[in-house]
Amino acid sequence: MRVLGGWIALTPELPAKLLFGRHVWDCAQHADAWGRRLPELRAPAQTSEPANDGVVAFARLLESPEGPRQTLERIAGAYGVLKPHLVTLYARHLASANAVYEPPTRRILARCLEEERRHAAAGAIVLSRLAGDAAARERVADWQGRLLGALEKAGGITGDAMAPLIDATLLGVPPDVVAPDLVQAPPNFDPAALPADLTRAVDAYRAALTAGDRAAASGWVDSTAREAVSEAIASIGGRITDARVVGLAAIGRQQVVKLRIEGAHAVAFVLLRWAPTHAGWRIAAADRVATEPVPAAP
Amino acid sequence: MDRPIAYDKLAREDRFVRMRARDVAELKVEQGLPPFPDLASRESIRERVHGIMVGELQAMEGAGRTVYDFPDAPWEFTLDMARQVWDESRHVETYLGLLEHLGGRVGEFPESTILWRCACAEDAAARVAGVNRGLEGLACDVFNQLIHIAQKIGDPVIEKSVDYVLADEITHVRMGSRWLNELTRGDPERRRRAIEFQETIDERFNLGGTRQDGHHEVVPISIAKEARKLAGFTDEEIERLVKSTQRSQVY
Repeated sequence: MRVLGGWIALTPELPAKLLFGRHVWDCAQHADAWGRRLPELRAPAQTSEPANDGVVAFARLLESPEGPRQTLERIAGAYGVLKPHLVTLYARHLASANAVYEPPTRRILARCLEEERRHAAAGAIVLSRLAGDAAARERVADWQGRLLGALEKAGGITGDAMAPLIDATLLGVPPDVVAPDLVQAPPNFDPAALPADLTRAVDAYRAALTAGDRAAASGWVDSTAREAVSEAIASIGGRITDARVVGLAAIGRQQVVKLRIEGAHAVAFVLLRWAPTHAGWRIAAADRVATEPVPAAP
Repeated sequence: MDRPIAYDKLAREDRFVRMRARDVAELKVEQGLPPFPDLASRESIRERVHGIMVGELQAMEGAGRTVYDFPDAPWEFTLDMARQVWDESRHVETYLGLLEHLGGRVGEFPESTILWRCACAEDAAARVAGVNRGLEGLACDVFNQLIHIAQKIGDPVIEKSVDYVLADEITHVRMGSRWLNELTRGDPERRRRAIEFQETIDERFNLGGTRQDGHHEVVPISIAKEARKLAGFTDEEIERLVKSTQRSQVY
């Protein structure tokens, strides 16, 4: 619950962000149900301790991916390892819990089991959509392997769980059951959103950038903004190999075009504010919003 | 994970354009436009709906951080914040649908991070005062106005959707009222700071002074007194808010 809650702000992709948002409340209710059950079993309410240091190490590893490009690891850890492990433990506990003495525990187990299965299935769907290529799938497999290793060292989250820690046969859930957990993601940004005349101007500017033609590029920039635009673009350092439109936002009649500019070593995101003038669209201002290393080739 | 995180760590898909609200407002005024959507056209309503959608996104992110950032807070507080995360995630979905209904798209207008910055306050009491009571109280006013406009233009999709969201917002403000009291019980200095933070927000984020006391037909955004009373605001607090809107001009 806490980790999913903390990750929401750190996760860029809307489908993943909303997946976490959907499940935080379910997890809170699970924790609450267990916490309320504790005093009925002669333990203090709403308090818990990790079973051993290995569990602490597992939890630390699980929550460690907090970079904006580590969404795959976040989903793979919570939904591909922890939740399937919980499903496995809940199912075992339910199977062994006495039907006469332990109905209060059994009811909590049944609810948690059903909802964790649903969560795991929803997470698997979002993960498969985001991990579209072989490199991404390998990343997921590597991370899950590391987490499972840590979980084995701990003896599962209870410290005494028997192998296998994840029983895949328990995880199947029909798609219609999972559907309410998934928010229809809005379509990806389409550069066709740019008005036609602005597209022509932006395309010509992008072409000048990738051709290294400073004079042509400068021709699209209002004279008062040339210094700021040069500075923003120069942040890439060296030759520009690619310049793509990744966003477009309107401010009245002006349009802010977000460009992803790639060089040999870095990727920069630059906001260019285009304003309509007598001579057509011109860049009135620029602002570099981020610079990142070029992603490693698959 | 850090507790709390720096506000500039807020993660977004590349399609979002983030800018300061003040800069966006100034650029509009330079073009002879109102600084904030006046809801006089479908495009203007779309811009307002987009603004609310990103606000809901930030509210979800902020409540999620509150669940994580305060492990020693009372368990019931954490439960309320977890519930709020779920509510906000449904609000995001609602507003994504309304944006589509209005022919808009995600990222169509710049995003400002006003709400998120308030959600990064280091004290839990300040967060609930600023976000739940200050900003979600503002949301009550804005949603009331949107419902009124939807009724006027005969759009039951907007009217009903926003009405459901408004009911949740009242609950969130009520949570804020409860936890402001409980978290600061026996600590008047902490309470004073939290309320001061909320009042700063009430004064600053006042939609360019368009939020005022009066009927929908008379003022641009009417202070939703009934909704606020349901949410636990006292008459005195509402009166103070009315006074603050008379002198506010930022945002």
